[in-house]
Amino acid sequence: MNRTDAITLLPLIVVAGTSVLAMLATAVRRSHVFTLCMTLAGLAAAFGCAWPAGARAPRQVTALLIIDDYSLFYFRLLIAAVFAIAILTYDYLRKRDLHREELYILLLIATVGAMVLVASSHFASFFLGLETLSISLYAMIAYLRRPRPVEAGIKYLVLAAGSAAFLLFGMALVYADLGTMEFARMAQLLPGTPGDALLISGMVLIITGIGFKLAVVPFHLWTPDVYEGAPAPVSAFIATVSKGAMFALLLRYFYSAGALANRHIALIFTIIAIASMIAGNLLALLQNNVKRILAYSSIAHMGYLLVAFLVGGEFAVDAVTFYLVAYFVTTLGAFGVISVMSGGDGEPEQLEDYRGLFWRQPALAGVFTVMLLSLAGIPVTAGFIGKFYIVAAGASSARWALILILVISSVIGLFYYLRLVAAMYATPDKEPAAATMPAAFIGGAVLAALTCVLLWLGVYPNPVLRMIENVFPK
Amino acid sequence: MLELLFLVPVVPFASFLWLATAGSRTSRKAVAVVGVGSIAICTVISLLITWSYLASPPDGGAFTQVLWTWISVDGFTPQIAFYLDALSLIMMLVVSFVSFVIHLYSAEFMLEGEGYSRFFAYMNLFVASMITLLLANNLLLLYLGWEGVGLCSYLLIGFWYQDSANGRAAQKAFIVTRVGDTAFAIGLFLLFTHLGTLDIQALMQRAAQQWPVGSTLAIVASALLLGGAVGKSAQLPLQTWLPDAMAGPTPTSALIHAATMVTAGVYLIARTHVLFSLAPPTQFAVAVVGAATVLLAGCSALVQHDIKRILAYSTVSQIGYMFLALGVGAWTAAIFHFMTHAFFKALLFLVAGVVIQALHDEHDIFRMGGLRKDLPYAFWGFVIGGSALAGLPLITAGFYSKDLILWSAFSSTQGSTALWIAGLIGVLLTSLYIYRLIFLTFYGKKQIEVAHRPGWRIKIPIVTLSVLSLVGGFVNIPKALGNVPAFTDLLHSALPAVIERQASMITEGLSEGIAAIAFALGLGFAYLFFLHKRTLADILASNAIGRLIHRFWFADWGMDWLYDRLFIRPIIWFAQVDRNDFMDAFYAGVAGLNEFSWRALRETESGRLRWYAAGITAGTVVFLAIVLWT
Repeated sequence: MNRTDAITLLPLIVVAGTSVLAMLATAVRRSHVFTLCMTLAGLAAAFGCAWPAGARAPRQVTALLIIDDYSLFYFRLLIAAVFAIAILTYDYLRKRDLHREELYILLLIATVGAMVLVASSHFASFFLGLETLSISLYAMIAYLRRPRPVEAGIKYLVLAAGSAAFLLFGMALVYADLGTMEFARMAQLLPGTPGDALLISGMVLIITGIGFKLAVVPFHLWTPDVYEGAPAPVSAFIATVSKGAMFALLLRYFYSAGALANRHIALIFTIIAIASMIAGNLLALLQNNVKRILAYSSIAHMGYLLVAFLVGGEFAVDAVTFYLVAYFVTTLGAFGVISVMSGGDGEPEQLEDYRGLFWRQPALAGVFTVMLLSLAGIPVTAGFIGKFYIVAAGASSARWALILILVISSVIGLFYYLRLVAAMYATPDKEPAAATMPAAFIGGAVLAALTCVLLWLGVYPNPVLRMIENVFPK
Repeated sequence: MLELLFLVPVVPFASFLWLATAGSRTSRKAVAVVGVGSIAICTVISLLITWSYLASPPDGGAFTQVLWTWISVDGFTPQIAFYLDALSLIMMLVVSFVSFVIHLYSAEFMLEGEGYSRFFAYMNLFVASMITLLLANNLLLLYLGWEGVGLCSYLLIGFWYQDSANGRAAQKAFIVTRVGDTAFAIGLFLLFTHLGTLDIQALMQRAAQQWPVGSTLAIVASALLLGGAVGKSAQLPLQTWLPDAMAGPTPTSALIHAATMVTAGVYLIARTHVLFSLAPPTQFAVAVVGAATVLLAGCSALVQHDIKRILAYSTVSQIGYMFLALGVGAWTAAIFHFMTHAFFKALLFLVAGVVIQALHDEHDIFRMGGLRKDLPYAFWGFVIGGSALAGLPLITAGFYSKDLILWSAFSSTQGSTALWIAGLIGVLLTSLYIYRLIFLTFYGKKQIEVAHRPGWRIKIPIVTLSVLSLVGGFVNIPKALGNVPAFTDLLHSALPAVIERQASMITEGLSEGIAAIAFALGLGFAYLFFLHKRTLADILASNAIGRLIHRFWFADWGMDWLYDRLFIRPIIWFAQVDRNDFMDAFYAGVAGLNEFSWRALRETESGRLRWYAAGITAGTVVFLAIVLWT
């Protein structure tokens, strides 16, 4: 590994280094604010390092990682998301009496895992990234050390370990058949090989591993329990960074390896997409726990993303990427509201806690409304543009059945988003069960920024669209 | 300088955002400064743009400013772009200026009572929407502005929402205009599917190339747009909402329901005039709608008691003149009348507001009287505005614009003697009802003491608009009186000239003379019935026929009654009869199915880890089975 390699890897190195520094600093002296500042500075530096790295891209660094415009785009997206999550975490933890600093260290390590996933070009780095991400998440989910979070953490631990076993076995099968673990090499070999049982079975097992992380049907059952049990900022991390990194990998792996050309694989993804859209939206329908609603909603959104993914072609890549950006902003905002609203000893989880929120905290209710409308895909929000492009991508290759299901399930989805919105604007008939604290300035600033980005993307999506088009040159 | 164009809608919009978010926590003074100041800035920018446009006209007389493309998919590329030509320039200038004086007036007028910042937020949003409507270079953006002004109109009619009658009036306005808006939207779909663009200029070009004159598509498309225009501009048969819209605060009535928004339909037709020229039957319908509205609304105005309702019917009637002008191809005359009307009708509403406020919210003109001395500003404002409205020859703006319409109605190839005569009767009616209002309000015996006198922020707008109501017409002096057609010449870069018929017995001068006689007759009758001998009017109205006509006109020709019987009651009746039809069962079934599915799926979320693990394994096994056995 020479100097150029090091520079291209800088974003990754900086985030990893920050986690080590934070660990050392915490060992010497605990300071919540200092750890936060260090985390934010490290993330900002890593974000900045994407430019010198970009000047040397694309570059294959060892057989494991490839740093190209695609990786760097997702690096920036992930780092920006983690930046917001770190601030929300600060706002969340400052009301609680416990060791706070370790969560930032875990957050940074998990981010390294997500970045490795995005940049991986080899089964080994794929698996390493995944495990780095997962193992940090076990601790992050159970961080509050109460019965519910610990239960969620253990559930995640067992299931993630199990699905990782599937994934690993799948990789072994593919390796046994093709004799390589590099994506690029696979892309050369795949068209020549008739889809024999070994290879196809291996791929199905890999899909299981990926599907678990994305929480798509039928690998979704854990989602609501974990979202509900984890602290709100960690739920935001799982919903955005963890899933986004996995989707980025999926996009790269299945495109660069050309695996979608296999009709069996395409069929399986079609089934997963349809089932996720329908089941995700139906499960949320009369749900009263807001975090569970968001969990089910994320299942449905992964289904929408898979629709564009299945369409294939450059247009679809743009559609998926824009949708992911919109989904990141929206989901961060939604969990951000929950996180900002939570008091010292609980989170406002029940629908009842939100009844009449508008009359108590109009700004917060306004932000949440915008986020929910964006999730539902109402015009003038980023969610609308994202969904519009997915439908357009589907229509451009005449996938009418998928589009139809997307539209119908979106209508079902509208019901529970609006149910939540309606609750916020209803006149409150009793005092809320969970005490809500006034939002701290710093948490409020993140929410305001996310709202602005959301509306900006909905009204003026051009710059981001053009950026995405440059990442995937036509 | 033209590059500043985007600021004209952006400034009031920004001010709206600020007022909507922070307004309730700010002092009234700051609210007034921001609310009025933003419109002042907007007016100054409009003036600068006008100056720059006149000093060095852009190529082809039009300037397009593309800000960005919203989305771009397969030929559907709605842009956020503004188009400035002579037509939109004049409209923008008049709208921003009149908005400014009315905002200034409101700063004092609305001071009592709650909702000060809410009022200015709505008004600013209205100005932003209206300017967007005027400057939009494509029909989608225009539609956005169109719906925006509709929303503000709704919000402001129902501004005093504690009174449920105001809420009902707001709903009525919203629903009735919705009928027109639906037609408009269908027209947009039709134009887009057949011509493949919504950019107005490209649309007009393609329409002219692809559709021959009189083609069915052109007729249908223009008729649908006319539907939208009729709804927004309160013309027959959708005029019923405007008189009720007077429930809103008086500055709102002046700005939205007299000077600006209600003329959006006129603007829409002028903007898409190419389309209407391709569809002679529709254009003739525009003229007929206009002429009929002039007469019907004029008669209704004659018998009203409520000072604001008289002015409302007068607005309907005057917009009828604009439609008449559009219908005979006198596009510039319509815009000219729009401008003068904006001045004098805004003035009339503002002084009506002064009278109403001075008399403890009294609206009935029969309970007023003798206010000449106590409210001199209101009196002179009414005299000047009313004379301009009625078309007092030579010295008022209304005379020049209305006579241009009358002459065009006669002389244009699309005009006719019948339309001309209808217009002349309209002049007589106008002069009769407005002087009736003035005589009853300001002369005779004093009935209520004046309790409140206006301050400077009310006087300045009244004086400004009075001056404009007098001199505003001199920008376009007809042939017979000196021939200075500056206004028409300016507009001809955007709108075609009237095609005149050859050789006729009546000359322009003669038409003006007859109009002057009609005016004088109206004034004379008003003097006779309402100042000289009030008993005469009572005799006319007290016999059976008179009473019937009075009731009929008072209820606006029974239109509300008719719509109630024709649409509302049958629909309610049908809804009641049809309460338990299969559609309900269908929707209940859909809802039930969803709920059932939710219950079924919820069972899978058992919370048990072994079950979750089984789910993952089972899913994998099924997928393996699918790939290995198919």
